[in-house]
Amino acid sequence: MARDTLAKVRSFAGDVRKHWSKPAEGRYVPYREYKDIFVAVGSNYAGSKLLEYIWFGASCYLFMYHYQLPYLTFAIIGLINMPLNYVWAMIGWVINDNLGFLEKKKERMLYGLYFGLIVIGLTLILAPISLLFNQNGAFVTFMNGLEGINCDSAFKILGTHILWNGWAGSRNIFWRKKLLPKFGRYKYSLYCDFLPKIIMVWVIGWLPLYNIPDMVERVWKANLLFAVYSIFGFGNSLEACAQNISPNTHERVLVRTYPIKLSHLAHSIFAIVLPVIVGWLPHKWEDINLYHWVLPISFTVFALLTMIFAGRIKERIPQPPLEKKVQINFWDGMFGVMRNKYKWVQTIVGLLDSLGNGMLPFATILYLYTMRLYGLAYSLIVALVSFAGTPPDLFTPFFMKRFSYKQIMIFYQLSRAAGNAVIVASLFFLRGSPTLCGIVCIVVLIFMEMTKTVPTSVGHDMDIRVNDYQMYLSGERLESFSGVFGWFTGPITSFVGLIIPLLLLAHGFNSNWDVLYVDDSRLWIIMIPILIDIVGYLLMTIPYFFWDYDDDKQNKVMAVLRRREEVTAAQTEGQVSTNG
Amino acid sequence: MAKREKTKKARKNNLVDQAVYDAYKDAIPADEIWDYQVEGLQKPHINKPFENMRAKKIVVVIILVIAISVSIFFSFWILHNDAFKYTALEDGTTEFTRFSNPGELRELRIDYMITDVQSDLQITKDEAGKEIRTTTYTLTRDETRPITAIHEYAFNCDEKIRVIEIGRDVTKIDEKAFYSCYALREIRVDEENPNYCDIDGVLFDKDCTELICYPIDHDAYLRERFGYVDEKTGETTQFWPTENWKNEGKDKYNEYYTRQYENEVNTYVVPSTVKKIGPLAFNYSELFRLYLPEGLERLETMAIFRNWHIERVDTYVGDYDGNEPKDEKFIPDGANVKYSLPDSLTYIGSDCFNSAIEMDYIYIPENVTEIGHHAFWAAARKENGKLIGLYEIHAAREQADFKENVTTGDEWTGEYDNGVFPKNVPVLYGETRLPLPEEPAPAESQK
Repeated sequence: MARDTLAKVRSFAGDVRKHWSKPAEGRYVPYREYKDIFVAVGSNYAGSKLLEYIWFGASCYLFMYHYQLPYLTFAIIGLINMPLNYVWAMIGWVINDNLGFLEKKKERMLYGLYFGLIVIGLTLILAPISLLFNQNGAFVTFMNGLEGINCDSAFKILGTHILWNGWAGSRNIFWRKKLLPKFGRYKYSLYCDFLPKIIMVWVIGWLPLYNIPDMVERVWKANLLFAVYSIFGFGNSLEACAQNISPNTHERVLVRTYPIKLSHLAHSIFAIVLPVIVGWLPHKWEDINLYHWVLPISFTVFALLTMIFAGRIKERIPQPPLEKKVQINFWDGMFGVMRNKYKWVQTIVGLLDSLGNGMLPFATILYLYTMRLYGLAYSLIVALVSFAGTPPDLFTPFFMKRFSYKQIMIFYQLSRAAGNAVIVASLFFLRGSPTLCGIVCIVVLIFMEMTKTVPTSVGHDMDIRVNDYQMYLSGERLESFSGVFGWFTGPITSFVGLIIPLLLLAHGFNSNWDVLYVDDSRLWIIMIPILIDIVGYLLMTIPYFFWDYDDDKQNKVMAVLRRREEVTAAQTEGQVSTNG
Repeated sequence: MAKREKTKKARKNNLVDQAVYDAYKDAIPADEIWDYQVEGLQKPHINKPFENMRAKKIVVVIILVIAISVSIFFSFWILHNDAFKYTALEDGTTEFTRFSNPGELRELRIDYMITDVQSDLQITKDEAGKEIRTTTYTLTRDETRPITAIHEYAFNCDEKIRVIEIGRDVTKIDEKAFYSCYALREIRVDEENPNYCDIDGVLFDKDCTELICYPIDHDAYLRERFGYVDEKTGETTQFWPTENWKNEGKDKYNEYYTRQYENEVNTYVVPSTVKKIGPLAFNYSELFRLYLPEGLERLETMAIFRNWHIERVDTYVGDYDGNEPKDEKFIPDGANVKYSLPDSLTYIGSDCFNSAIEMDYIYIPENVTEIGHHAFWAAARKENGKLIGLYEIHAAREQADFKENVTTGDEWTGEYDNGVFPKNVPVLYGETRLPLPEEPAPAESQK
C-alpha cells in the first residue's frame, strides 16, 4: 500500500519535472504556472477579501462602530443613484464588450461626455443647489424626510454619483485601450488600480470623517470618500483569469480545484490571524487602529505580492486576434444576450435569490452578539467553519463527473433551505441559552459550508460555460451586456431587498448595532430574513430543471471557438485555410 | 495494469477536447465559422441584422421603461418616512409607532395624532458672516385622535430630539420606545397622566416604583440646570476633567470644581420609592455615580448597559422623593451609603452592567436569586498587564448555597483576555460587603 502510494508520488513528481515548463499533450498550462497561480491568486484573493472590511455598507465595522449611519440611508443612496445608473450601464456595455476599442469619433464623443459629467458632478457637490428650490415646498420637505439625508445633501450625493461615473468612464476607455492588448481582458485593471487603491485604503483609515457631529454631513462626505475609493478596483481578477486559463474543459476544472482552491489558504490563514490581532486591540473590532494600521498594512502586502506574480499567469480564451474581433453595437449586444437561454435560467435564479437581500450577516451576529466571541476563539471558529468546505472541494472533479450540474444545484438549494430551517428552530427554541444555541448553529453552518463548496465550483463553471456559449452565439462573451438582465430584475430586486431592512427597522435595527444585544430584538432581526430566505431557496430549485447544457455540448462549442480562432488567425497572417 | 489504465484514462481526459476539435475542424468550413450550428443548441447570430428589429426594440424599451419607473416609484415610496406613523388600536385610540425627524425638530409633545407638518427655514448670518439655518415646525393635531400608547423603538436612534412631552392619555409606553435617542435630555409627563410621571425629566411610572427611562443626554439638561452654559453660544458646556487636563496644566482644572460638577451633572440618586429599574433605563448614560435605594428589588435587562464612565453603583438608606430645589443636588452622605448593590435586590438582568469598565467593585447581596446572561460582560480587561474593571465578583452566599439557589445565565460573570484564551472573571463566595472607601475632600483653598 505504502509502496504503491510512494510510486504514485514519484510518478507525479516525475510528471511535474517533465512538464514544468512545457505542458503535456492536450494540455495548455505548465506546472510552473500552477505555482504562479497559487501565489498570485492567493494574494489577490486575500487582498480582495480584506477589502470586505472596508466598504460603504451598514455591516462594515467602520460604519457599525465609527460612522454610525442609519441602516436605511444606504438603500436611499442606492435609489438616488439608480435612475442614472441605467444610462451609465448602456455606455459601459458598449465600451467593455468591445474591449475599449471604439471608432475614433465615438471615442472622442464619449470622452467629451465623461469630462462633462465630471464638471457637473463637481458643481453639484460644491454649489448649494437646494437653495434654488422653495425651502418650504413639497420637494424639499420630502427630501428632508429621508433617513440621514436632506435636500442639500441629496444633491451632493447625486453629484458624487455623476462625478464618479465621469471619472470611472474616462478611465475605463483610457486604460482598457492602453493595457488590455498587453495584459488581457481580466488582468489589465490591476495594473492601473493597485497603487491608488493602496493609497485610498490608508486615506479611509486616517481621514476622521466619522467625527463629524452632524449625521447628514457625515453621510454625504462618507459617500464621497467611498466613491473615490471605489473608483479603483482590486477585484479577484487573477482568479477570473485563471478560471479561463485553458480551452480544455477538464484542465480548467483541475486548475480551479487545486492551485486556485489551495491558493485560498493565504486568506484562510489571514482569517485566523486577523481576529487574534484584533483581540489584542483594546476595543477589539471597535478599535479604530484596525483601520489605521492593521488593514492598510495587510492590504499593502497582499497587493504588492499580487502584482509581482500577476504577469506570470496567461489568459488562453480561444478568440480571434484583436484585428478580427467582432464589433458589437448596442442592439446586437442587447439581443445577443437575450437569445441565450441559460442566461435567463441564471437570471431567474438570481431574482429569487434576492428574497434574502438586505439581511444582516448571520454568522457575524451569531459570533459577536449571541456567542460573544473574540480573539483566538473567534478566529478558530471562523476558520473551522470556512475550512469545513475545503475537503469536499478537493473531490469536486469526482462530483462533477458523477452528478449532473442540474442535480448538484438542486441539491444545493435544498440543503440551504434545510440548514436554515434548523437554524431558525434553534434560535427560537434555544433562545434562553445563547451558548447552546450558538453551538447548534455552528454545527449547521459547518454542514452548510461542506455542502456549499462543490456547488459553488459548479456555479463558477456554469458561468464560464455560459460565457463560452455566448461567444459561440454572438462572437463575443458579452459579459457586460449581460447586465441587461439586471435592468429587468434590478428594480424588482432592489424593491424586494427593501422589505427586509424595513422589517428590521420595525424591530429596532437602525444605526446602532447594540440593539442586537437585546435578546428578543436579535431573535426577530435574525429570524425574519432567514425565513424569507428559506422560501427563496425552495423556489430557486425550479429554474434549474431547465438546465440542459452538458459536457458534450460544451466540448462542441469550444471546438467551434477554436476553429474560429484558427481560421481568423490564419486570415490575419494572409494564409487562409483551405482545407475546410 | 490498473496504473496503466489510470494513466490512459487521464490521457483520455486531456485529449477528449482535442478529439472533438479534430472532428469539428474538418466539419466546419472556413467560410462558415460564424454560422456553424452545434446540434441541440441555437444557431449563432453574428454581424447580421435581427428580424423585426424595430418592433423588438420598441417592445424592449417599453417593458424596461415601465419596469424601471414603477420600481423606482415604489422604492422611494417605501423609503420615504412619514415624520409620524400611527396605528389605530381596537379601542378606537391611537398608538404612536414611529418617529422620523423631519429635520431639526427638537421638542415634541405626544398627545394627539399629528396630521400635518409645516416647516419654515430661516437663513441668517452671524457676525462672522457664517450662515445660520433655523427651522421652525408647525404641527397640526387631530384632537379627536388621542394617543394612548407608544410602540417599541418609536424613537429609534434619533439624534436631534431633546425634549419629549407625554400627554395625559398615554397609558402605555414600551420600555424600548426611546432606544438610542442620543440627544434626549428630558421626558416630561402631563400631571394628569394616570400611569406615568416624571421627576426632573426622568420617566417613572405613576407611583414612582419603576424608573423607566433616564434620558441619554440628561447630563446636558443638568448642565443647563446648574449653569454650565457657554456664554457665547448658549450651549451647555461639556466638561471632562481628564488626566490630560491635569497634565496640560490648564487653569480650569480644579479638584473642588470637578467634584462639584460630577455631583451635579454625572451623579444620579434614584428615589427611595423605586423597586425596579426598567430595561435599558440607564443605557449609554454619562453617569459616574449612581445611588440605588435600599428597597430596590430588580435591575432589569440592560438596565445600566454601556455606561463606560460609571465608577460606582452604591446603595443609600433613607427617604428621597427626587424633588429638590433647582440649584441644589441631593447626594446621600457617607453614613447612609453602602458600597455596591442593595441588600433588597433579587434580580440582575442580562447585560445589566455590560461595559462598566470603570467600576472596580461589585457585591452581590444574599437576596439575589437570578442573574441574567452576560450580566457583567465586557466589564473587566487587562491593560498594560494590569487588570482593571470588575475582574472579580464578590458574592454574599457561600459557593454551594449560591450554586443551589441562584439561577445564572450563560457567561454571567464576563471574562477578560488572559494570554491566548480569555479567562472567566472569578467569583469570590461567602464575602462580606467591603466598607465604603474613603475619599479625601478637596482642599478648601480650591473653593
